[in-house]
Amino acid sequence: MEFLIISTLNGVTYGLLLFMVSAGLTLIFGMMGVLNFAHASFYMLGAYIAYTVATTINFWLGLLVAPILVGLLGIFVERNLLRRVHAYGHAHELLLTFGLAFIFEELIKLIYGDFPVNYSMPDYLRFPAFTIFGTDYPFYRVFIGLVAVGMFVFLYLLLSRTRAGLVVRAAERLPVMAESLGHNVPLVFMGVFGTGAAFAGLAGAVAGAFFPTNPNMAIELGVIVFVVVVVGGLGSLEGSLAASLLIGLFSSFAVGLDWSLAGLLSWVGLGDWARSVGGLFTLTLSSISGTVPFLLMLIVLLVRPAGLMGERN
Amino acid sequence: MLARIALIAGLLIVLIAVPPFLGIGWQNALTNMLIASLFAMAFNLLVGQAGLLSFGHAAFFGVGAFATLHLMGAIEDRIIAFPTPLLPLAGAVAGILVGAFAGYFATMRSGVYFALVTLAIAELFHSLAPHWDGLFGGEAGLSSMRMPWAGLTFGSPLQVYYLALGWTVVSIFLLWAYTRTAFGRLTLALRDNEQRVRFMGYNAHTTKVIIFSISAMFSGIAGALLAVSNETANYSLFSTHVSAQVVLHTFVGGSTVFFGPAIGASIFTLFAFYISEVTRTWLLYQGLIFVLVMLYAPQGIGGLVQTHIQHWSKISWPELGRAYAVAAAVAVCLTSALVFVVESFAIIFSPEYAAVRGRLDGAWPPFKLFGLEWEVFSPFTWIIPLGLLAVGLLLLPTARRMLRETWNHILERAEAARIAKSEIQLAGAVES
Repeated sequence: MEFLIISTLNGVTYGLLLFMVSAGLTLIFGMMGVLNFAHASFYMLGAYIAYTVATTINFWLGLLVAPILVGLLGIFVERNLLRRVHAYGHAHELLLTFGLAFIFEELIKLIYGDFPVNYSMPDYLRFPAFTIFGTDYPFYRVFIGLVAVGMFVFLYLLLSRTRAGLVVRAAERLPVMAESLGHNVPLVFMGVFGTGAAFAGLAGAVAGAFFPTNPNMAIELGVIVFVVVVVGGLGSLEGSLAASLLIGLFSSFAVGLDWSLAGLLSWVGLGDWARSVGGLFTLTLSSISGTVPFLLMLIVLLVRPAGLMGERN
Repeated sequence: MLARIALIAGLLIVLIAVPPFLGIGWQNALTNMLIASLFAMAFNLLVGQAGLLSFGHAAFFGVGAFATLHLMGAIEDRIIAFPTPLLPLAGAVAGILVGAFAGYFATMRSGVYFALVTLAIAELFHSLAPHWDGLFGGEAGLSSMRMPWAGLTFGSPLQVYYLALGWTVVSIFLLWAYTRTAFGRLTLALRDNEQRVRFMGYNAHTTKVIIFSISAMFSGIAGALLAVSNETANYSLFSTHVSAQVVLHTFVGGSTVFFGPAIGASIFTLFAFYISEVTRTWLLYQGLIFVLVMLYAPQGIGGLVQTHIQHWSKISWPELGRAYAVAAAVAVCLTSALVFVVESFAIIFSPEYAAVRGRLDGAWPPFKLFGLEWEVFSPFTWIIPLGLLAVGLLLLPTARRMLRETWNHILERAEAARIAKSEIQLAGAVES
């Protein structure tokens, strides 16, 4: 029971963190058809900017400055780089963002070194939110979750209840029609790209203080975030929330379970045979927990190729 | 055509004749160059010819390497007898099998989804391999020895180089022959218009799986050559960096030209060997080169060379020479400014420099770069790169205008020649 509840809590907070990064990615893809490989780099840059501000001035100022700077960087990337290669097609846009991700990672290594930096939350945030089964549950995990929930509510209201959201949705569905009605669609694209980048930067600033901040964090999270958007259905905000939580829970449960194929086969009396064969049969679920998201993605692709809530193929 | 054959023959003679006179370091670097070239060519079968952008080709490269090491281990333990020069066959078999399996899933989707699925497949291997001792040797990986065969010891780097050369040349020839077959034409058709291929009665999915497997097979051979050369492999072969490198090589070299990927891979691996002892920032430059190529020369280096050859007779060399001279001046200014700043930063932000500063109570000692000492906060240090940057940026619009105008002239002449030719043909047809 203890394992169940703690794993669920950890899974949900990790899932919400995944959602903070994947929300921007899926929005940008839904609108512009650009799969932004550099999106997870925005997450990393957010963490490093917040680290720099937090160590020199103040932690909270870092949380404010990081999304703003990363958002501006996102606007620059969209306006000055992506638009230039737009004519060559989506593959080139993908490759360009891929190259940018490469450059961002190397720049971080150049300035901060190829090792984790000591970015952590201020001491007054280091208290237990509540005690469960004798263990303290850190407040900061709850804080990460709250920021993500706040972001989802904000995005959802913005898109569904405001005039700006209406224009954004119009520009997504029928860009040419929206443009003929007098809306500045390139400006909308730029805004969405900047907002998505800013949210990724905020996620990095918030999560970097809890999880390790190092030059590999972009690629490690980036791959998982791609899995999230494929499972959720590219372009669907609700889908990416569902997929984030699903993958967060799967990963967090897999870490604590030492199930193996041999154990499964022992139910039908083949356990000893499987153990004697070894290899894949005796790998425990906990040791391959990093693999679980990718397996999940392959299953989703087989069963429902458009993703959980995706409409388009 | 004759010129091309002569060029390839000349290149082959150089590749065969020169390495014995080089040091061991260069021989190893050339072996790595061949492996990277073959890998990029195999990758480009999928990307350039079938139009399927894969971000996970490290999977097949790595699988080829591990399969070969298992075979080498079996030979070493005298479980089976197998000629050492044919070891890469193990990589080919593993590549084609894993490629068929992975390709079946990946090619169910196209476009960015395809890219994501391939990325995830490579990540699957990367996350699984460190925990699977029997197959991938856990975190330490597998090691084995090259066994002598038929009087050849395969002990020296030179013999390994010739083995790699043989396999690379044969594989690249097969890849070229592939493009001449009917199936090779179908591959191009699939890239250009998949719907039409379906209308013509071909099964697009099966075709893609076959193409994917062939590409994976040659990637497996490349991985096998690496295993033969290094005699060891671990799970880091599956990392995204390996997949990223092949993408960089292919697109900088040019994915639309047959030999483009090999050009890119050769330039990058040799340059890396030459420069990486000097600088830790080589990967940053690599990324910058890639982005610049994507922005300003999307056809890659191979594409640029091809354009020049195509319009050879229409080029007015004095005009183009002037434009290239200005462009080269701009490039030299901007590059040296960039290199100076990046290398200075690499020193100033390094842990070693921080340690020295710690000993000096936080003072900023001068740093050594390009044989000179520079003060960190002296304006004199930064005036040189800033000046170069300013000159480069000032000349940049001129260079771009000259390049654009020159190439517009060349393309106009080519267009005029084409029209004139078709008019002559038309007149001839009317007379007859």
